[in-house]
Amino acid sequence: MLVLKPMMQKTSAKYFFLMPGVLWILAFTLFPLVYSLYLSFTDFRLGKEPQFVGTKNYVEILGLDGEGGDDKALETATFSLFLTLGSTSMTLIMGTLIAWVFNHDLPMLRQMRAIITMPLFAAPIALGFLGVVIFNETNGPLNNILQGLGFERIQWIIDPWGARFAVLITDTWQWTPFVFIVVLAAMQSIPEDLYESARLDTRSNWILFRRITFPLIAPALGTVALLRLVETIKILDIPISLTGGGPGAATQTYSYYVYQIGLRGSFQLGDASALSYLVVIIAIIISSIYFWRVRARFD
Amino acid sequence: MKKKLTLVLLLVSLLMMFGVRAVVAQDTFFGKTAAELFPDSSDSERELAFKALMAANIPDGRALGEGKTITIGTLGQGARGGISGTIYFWRPAFEAATGATVEIVEIPYGQLGTTIPADFLTGQYTYDAFVAAAWQYGDWVSNEWIQPIDAWIGDERFPAWALEDVAPPFRALLQWGGQTYGTQMDGDAQLLYYRNDILNDPAWQEQFKAETGKDMVVPPQTWQQLYDITNFFNGKDWNNDGDPDDGISLHLKAGGQGHFHYATLAASFAVTPADGDDAMAVSKFDNVFWFDPDDMTPLINQPGHVAALEFLQQLAATGQEAQFGWELGAAWDNFLQGNAIATFSWGDVGSLSQDPGRSIIKGNLGAAVIPCSDTWYDRETGEFVTNTDAPNCVGNTTGGSWHPVMSAFTDEPDLTYFFMSMIANPVINFYDATTGWQGIDPCCTYQLFPPRGDATPDDYAAVGFDASDMERYIAAYGENVFSKPTSLTYLRIPGTLEYIQNSLDVRLSEAMTGQKTAQEALDATAEDWADITESLGVESQLEIYQQAIGYAGS
Repeated sequence: MLVLKPMMQKTSAKYFFLMPGVLWILAFTLFPLVYSLYLSFTDFRLGKEPQFVGTKNYVEILGLDGEGGDDKALETATFSLFLTLGSTSMTLIMGTLIAWVFNHDLPMLRQMRAIITMPLFAAPIALGFLGVVIFNETNGPLNNILQGLGFERIQWIIDPWGARFAVLITDTWQWTPFVFIVVLAAMQSIPEDLYESARLDTRSNWILFRRITFPLIAPALGTVALLRLVETIKILDIPISLTGGGPGAATQTYSYYVYQIGLRGSFQLGDASALSYLVVIIAIIISSIYFWRVRARFD
Repeated sequence: MKKKLTLVLLLVSLLMMFGVRAVVAQDTFFGKTAAELFPDSSDSERELAFKALMAANIPDGRALGEGKTITIGTLGQGARGGISGTIYFWRPAFEAATGATVEIVEIPYGQLGTTIPADFLTGQYTYDAFVAAAWQYGDWVSNEWIQPIDAWIGDERFPAWALEDVAPPFRALLQWGGQTYGTQMDGDAQLLYYRNDILNDPAWQEQFKAETGKDMVVPPQTWQQLYDITNFFNGKDWNNDGDPDDGISLHLKAGGQGHFHYATLAASFAVTPADGDDAMAVSKFDNVFWFDPDDMTPLINQPGHVAALEFLQQLAATGQEAQFGWELGAAWDNFLQGNAIATFSWGDVGSLSQDPGRSIIKGNLGAAVIPCSDTWYDRETGEFVTNTDAPNCVGNTTGGSWHPVMSAFTDEPDLTYFFMSMIANPVINFYDATTGWQGIDPCCTYQLFPPRGDATPDDYAAVGFDASDMERYIAAYGENVFSKPTSLTYLRIPGTLEYIQNSLDVRLSEAMTGQKTAQEALDATAEDWADITESLGVESQLEIYQQAIGYAGS
């Protein structure tokens, strides 16, 4: 009869319990990552045998062959950048502002907090469809409010810039509560005695915020900013449901373009993989800069 | 005497029993009542549907289907929406007649080019049949994803329908290379709709003459005459609701199917019929719209197309600016709610106009064949032609003409065909085309008036339609399909969705919202198309395109 030594038993148990997690990561994270990297060096179109083409896909997208590159990739990347910077900064500013308000003793705070966080739990695609109603040029509530306040009606969906801002506003609306929750938690972890001591020197709320609150919530803001940047670079569902990527291609994001090339009729998975890897590289650069800054700060 | 009385009583009892059984048999369909078969319908809808079902003579299919399941993929617009609604509506009846179960998978319009091809390309073969558009035949047939159904047609084990009943232009959409792949269901063609009461009002006609110096031609015969009318009415309160009203009602949002309407309009600007007896003969210069049939060079940026798009921009300006953000239903509703003098679209508008829940114009619907153009581009001479006396007229079967096709990989071909043929049964199909909400348009002789078919306005009045509206609408539908010298060729090649949805639709939206000029937008489309063709293989695309449009070479 085979008798395992206690040490071996312990080791086997360890591997046994690790196995599901490792298999999951191998199957659903590493394999797709490596396989799509391989595809990005092929001309693979679903239904046809892939041929290895080296760096041709990357060269063509970036225009390194002197052909000017992929205009549509550049166009959609530009809109994604606008959305990423716009939405990230808007959510950070608004989320922090709301958190600061909620960090005070106010009536009905709990109820208001529950209401404010609701958009976070909605599916982005549903918010996009809701946006179709809200931003309706003729009968939408937003234009009715604007008109009631004496402003001109805005052509939200049919004007390219109107549509871009409609997407930006919808994404900001959804993600502001996320920033709010994280920042509020960070604010509430600041010891009250710091404020009490500081109030001996000043009564200005702005100075208290600038000198105490902001430095102490900065790490949380940094993490949130990183998550928002990476999240917004990938945005696809809101433009699809709200504007259909239009008018024209005005609200097609980079992810929308990748989806179109890879899965919407074309199935050019080689090109789509190369386009995706360029985003991965950008996301890695962003997060590396962030971690380098954080490390520098704590070192 | 007593014996005789007993015999008579027994006879009467037996007759009564049979009589009751007969009544019961009339009240159920394979043991199911109308309420069980159509649980979500109103009483009147249920009554008409049940009557149609009983008249359809559906055979007993339980030997084919008992305990089995088939999966139908369909354009998804909900259980009470266009196209998918038909499948949901008749599912309980099919299940009662066969003892089988039907699983329905809805596929949104924007996902059609993804879901079905991905299913086949990855070897999943989920669907036994799928209801999709005729323009996908290029992909389906060339990849051998669907199978011909000729062997089943006419087999008495299945519900009856006849290919001969389908109007020839729609019949052609069910076939490829001489074989039949689809059973008929929906016949898409675009018509001109207008407000019959307003355009025939002498006071408005007088005002029109005074303002434009022209007689109002009702219905308009050319796009240019239509523009004069919509331009005249746009901004005027012709429906007396206190607000300015629209001339035209279009839908031009990217992804909202507006590209179909462009194609319908552009055909008479860019297509020339062939000389000689057969005006529909395809040559290098005649009856081609999409690509040069010799080398697949895109024709989409030719002068005729550019002129058509510029005209569409001009026509759209006679309606609300908001229409650039509308999808199909919004444009229809604007017309059906009496806010626009005209629109051009599919047959759905005709049947929806009779639905009091959606329309206020019942009894005032005008319908006519799609207009001609008095100016068009002749590619052979390289010049524009203008002729107001003999304008260029090109009909259309634009749209999806949605119908079921059978997967080549189904394990249940008989049962699947039973379902397909049941939906194609003339009585059921006639009923479907009169509901409006199902999005089923007339396709067949039993729906058209003589000399095109054998229906009468009374057939439509019997289902609650306005007979005078139908006299215009159904007559125009038949004329539109049969009377034009030629018709826009259907784009049925691999990658159709890529050419149309990913490129043309987006570029049109850019032009309509002022981001690009018509020429710039169509030049960009041509570039996109050339890239798509190259990526799919020029030779193979050319071969399938020539086959699809019937081009034998120059």
